[in-house]
Amino acid sequence: MKTLLIKNAYVIDPIQKISGETMDIAVRDGKIVDDVKNPDQVIDATGMLTLPGGIDSHTHICGTKVNFGRYMSPEDMRAGRTSRKGDMHATSGYSVPTTYGNSYRYSRMGYTTLLEGAMAPMEARHTHEEFRYTPLQDCLANTLFDGNWFALEAIRDGDIKRLAGIIAWYLSAAKGFGVKLTNPGGTEAWGFGDDVTCINEPIPHFGITPRDIIVNMIEANEMLNLPHSVHLHCNNLGKPGNYMCTLDTYNAIPDLNDKRQSLYSTHVQFHSYGGSSWNDFCSKAEDIARSVNDKPQITIDTGQVMFGKTTTMTADGPMEFNLYRLYHNKWSNHDVELETGSGIIPVHYRKKNLVNAIMWSIGLELGLLVDSPWQCILATDNPNGAPFVKYPEVMALLMSKNYRDAEFETLHKSTGKRVILPSLDRELTWDEIVTMTRSAQARALGLIEYGKGHLSEGAEADIALYPINVDTTDPARDYERIINGFSTTEYTIKRGEVVCRNGTCTMESNHSTYWVNPHVPPAYDMGTDAAFIDGFNKYYSMRITNYPVGEEYIGRNVCMESEASL
Amino acid sequence: MQEIKDMVCPFCGCLCDDVTLEVENGKILSTDNCCTIGNAKFMGKNRLKNPIKKVDGAWVDITYDEAVNTAVDLLLDADRPLLYGWSGTHGEAQCVGIHMNEILGGVIDSTTSVCHGPSILAIQEVGHPGCTLGQVKNRADLIVYWGCNPIEAHPRHMSRYTTYADGYFLDNAFRNRKVIVVDVRETETAKVADEFIRIKQGGDYAVLSALRAIIRGKGDMIPETVAGVTKTQLMQVADMCKTCSFGALFFGVGLTMAKGKYKNVRNAIELVDELNRHTKFTLTPMRGHWNVYGANEVFSWMTGYPYAVDFCRGVAFYNPGETTAIDILARKECDACMIIGSDPAAHFPRQCVEHLRDTPVIVIDPFQSMTTSFADIQIPVAVTGIDAEGTAYRMDGIPIKVKKAIDSDYPSDTEILTRIYDRMLEVKGL
Amino acid sequence: MKFLFNTGRTIRQGKYIESKLGQGYAEETSLCHIHPLDLLDLGVDEGENVLVKSEVGEVVLEARADEGLPMGMVFVSYGIHCNSIISACTHGTGMPDFKIHEVDICFTSEQRKTPAEILEQLGGVTYAGN
Repeated sequence: MKTLLIKNAYVIDPIQKISGETMDIAVRDGKIVDDVKNPDQVIDATGMLTLPGGIDSHTHICGTKVNFGRYMSPEDMRAGRTSRKGDMHATSGYSVPTTYGNSYRYSRMGYTTLLEGAMAPMEARHTHEEFRYTPLQDCLANTLFDGNWFALEAIRDGDIKRLAGIIAWYLSAAKGFGVKLTNPGGTEAWGFGDDVTCINEPIPHFGITPRDIIVNMIEANEMLNLPHSVHLHCNNLGKPGNYMCTLDTYNAIPDLNDKRQSLYSTHVQFHSYGGSSWNDFCSKAEDIARSVNDKPQITIDTGQVMFGKTTTMTADGPMEFNLYRLYHNKWSNHDVELETGSGIIPVHYRKKNLVNAIMWSIGLELGLLVDSPWQCILATDNPNGAPFVKYPEVMALLMSKNYRDAEFETLHKSTGKRVILPSLDRELTWDEIVTMTRSAQARALGLIEYGKGHLSEGAEADIALYPINVDTTDPARDYERIINGFSTTEYTIKRGEVVCRNGTCTMESNHSTYWVNPHVPPAYDMGTDAAFIDGFNKYYSMRITNYPVGEEYIGRNVCMESEASL
Repeated sequence: MQEIKDMVCPFCGCLCDDVTLEVENGKILSTDNCCTIGNAKFMGKNRLKNPIKKVDGAWVDITYDEAVNTAVDLLLDADRPLLYGWSGTHGEAQCVGIHMNEILGGVIDSTTSVCHGPSILAIQEVGHPGCTLGQVKNRADLIVYWGCNPIEAHPRHMSRYTTYADGYFLDNAFRNRKVIVVDVRETETAKVADEFIRIKQGGDYAVLSALRAIIRGKGDMIPETVAGVTKTQLMQVADMCKTCSFGALFFGVGLTMAKGKYKNVRNAIELVDELNRHTKFTLTPMRGHWNVYGANEVFSWMTGYPYAVDFCRGVAFYNPGETTAIDILARKECDACMIIGSDPAAHFPRQCVEHLRDTPVIVIDPFQSMTTSFADIQIPVAVTGIDAEGTAYRMDGIPIKVKKAIDSDYPSDTEILTRIYDRMLEVKGL
Repeated sequence: MKFLFNTGRTIRQGKYIESKLGQGYAEETSLCHIHPLDLLDLGVDEGENVLVKSEVGEVVLEARADEGLPMGMVFVSYGIHCNSIISACTHGTGMPDFKIHEVDICFTSEQRKTPAEILEQLGGVTYAGN
């Protein structure tokens, strides 16, 4: 029943094609409406850049491996502690904050929707428990399928419809949102300590190739009419020369959906490496960007690396082991039976380390060389590339050549021989930056029709008011103002309520979990499939009746139903 | 009479979820698939009927309302309360405990500190190369039990997850698996091993180092015996580890409580790290209680630290040895305690129990325990897994919903803690 | 005679964990397992009692033979008996020396105490009703 009126807001809303118009925004019952009479609250947004709430389409914030990262890193916890204050609980953590820490810091940056990058369905319950304590953002979970035995068997047998049925069962059981593949085939090979190096090489035991997995999953995903496309962490992450694998992968992607991409390729910076060893390591961002520009069926996020300490954590078990061999840092590993893997290791990206300097450059090159911001989402694969609190710095770098040049001066002196960044003059515009921090995500995730990423009538009243006066700010020169301005909102509004005011969060909780429930014909319903149930009970160490996550774990939630076209 | 299948046993870290219960008239008549200890848990009798309070040295019956108010008063009165136990309750209750501790500015610790705390200290130094138990079941052809005795402490571990469990990649699993047991004494588990290594007390660290050296090709520098183990046996074991397809090392308090404590575990982790350069090897601590790992998980995502969390500074502070329950009690630092889901009077050194005796203590437990004798009040609650439900984390980190079989009038841990917490907020005007 | 004091879980101790004031628990947790050859040296028969002394206290336990033990080490299951002689010192780790105390053992004709008696001796007040 709460009504709110935001007056004189300077709005940029690319989904509505609004590019810097001053207007009033009316809110009733958590949704944007045409207008309100006698509003309960009025906010004067004069001089404030007003945007739809930020959406992070790939971040590691909740679940088993994130929590591994927390409890193995007390030194990280000590690096970012805050006390209880009003409605805000105490927080800890720098690169792997506690759940309250994540939520408050994202809220302060104006982010209202978060997609957890990787959740093993067997451990979904854990992710949902942590979602509950990430109280100021709507949460969604990408569900891992890269090593799923039932899926791999269906692909081996050429039965895509069965594959779709398997995906549907797991997504509903785990209350997940999207289909995630991390080093497909590689995580299963890691079950016995191996990895894959080429998308055309058969994986151990199952005999199919990573390419088979990727293409079949895409087809099955589209058959299920899911809001999001397959979300892929390519094979060979982090290896010199891996750009060829990335290009090969992209060349295999069909165009099966006219509303959005058919493949979301994530943290592409880590997959854009040239050279054949660390000695001749260089950027191949140009080749990757060219491929993306040619393929509307692909959307990427950049996976920007920023200098400083952070913690890497992915489902890519073998890759994390290789980092351990390189850095000899403390290393954790966690393979999940019949499903996937994971690994965690702290890292320190240094300016004077040539490889790290090249990595930093590549992320920016991708942001500048991919033509359309709709295809190029800004992210750091939090926390793998950098903690998400660095997003404003990334925005500033993309908007200002001066800033990039100034930073480039401080890097390893040979960086210029391995990257083309200094030669790129492009400075992203306000519209482009807004697109790659919320509008593109909403489109890529299929959330536009659920009222996210835009401020149209009927949309969710998730709104961020930044202390940035666009008329008097030249992002090319005033990059400090960009960083400060995007770091802390004047107001972050979630479901029509102010949840953060000048950095202080003001509500205990105000969020929902979004999950999908694809309906398949009875013949493909794994819930009644004897072979599936028998195999499940035989090989898992948990009974199938105890596996699905009950509704009691998801509180307020939005169930996104879809009918499969099988 | 009703038969309920796939129930979860709330006793040890195995968290077996294939238990069948026969229930009639709100009582459990019998169990199937349980080990002796699990069966005892489900068939437990003599629960406390109502809250009790010690008044002038004698016990009197009180109501839940009175119990809640007394608990609130005792805790709010204290300068440095200690909230201890947690391993025998479900996660939802643990979350309330954390919130409570934040308001109280006290110390919250779980039984971790007297069990696998040292393992966590080691993990915080060198990480944890682990996996879920199904990986072991389906792939492992070599099992190592080091400093633990699953036949006595985790009775179904070997049949559900290791030695006797059927695996996808192993035909005839039992024949094709080898089991190595390392211990200072010949336990029941040692008797069924293919290879038993008897170590001299305190020699684990040296033996682990010797194995690491052999695996790195430095076998020449190993003396004829190390901590009572012959070089021949060491070479044999190193070879078994290096040439297996998938090795799984399980370890228990034999490492965490032995001389060197967390250093032993660190060495074991580093041995497994080294083995990963040659084959696939994983390591799993044999967590004792059914939800002690859950307490670590909850404490970590809520505060940043897995146990021994001190909030007196207003921020989370972690320093095992200083903020752990044993030390706090031994130094007489706490002036009120809430004990939930554990029994420190039975398991803590005498000096700590003496301080419990001299301090106001609230016990939350379905059964009379040894700690009851030192309590000021005890509040009985429902038993998770029988008449209460909640989330627990298995020894390998897998979260399982522990369901309830019957209803009762007892409040669950979450319910009673929430009542106490809400009343605290009310009294403090928050 | 000097021995190393090893304590740990047993299946019987676990079985009685929710009825610690009962006979089964009292019995299991007050047993001291000793190697048969050590029993000979001690001059103690299985079933007789021994007095176990550490730097912080002493306790009476019933001797049992266990060939699986190395000589010079005894084993007692977790419980209030063994903990009554274990020190609270954790060397800064939070973990007491549950498996590494040095104790002195000799024959005794004293009777074992029940857990309830130890509790009372410590100053506890057992709840009688139910």
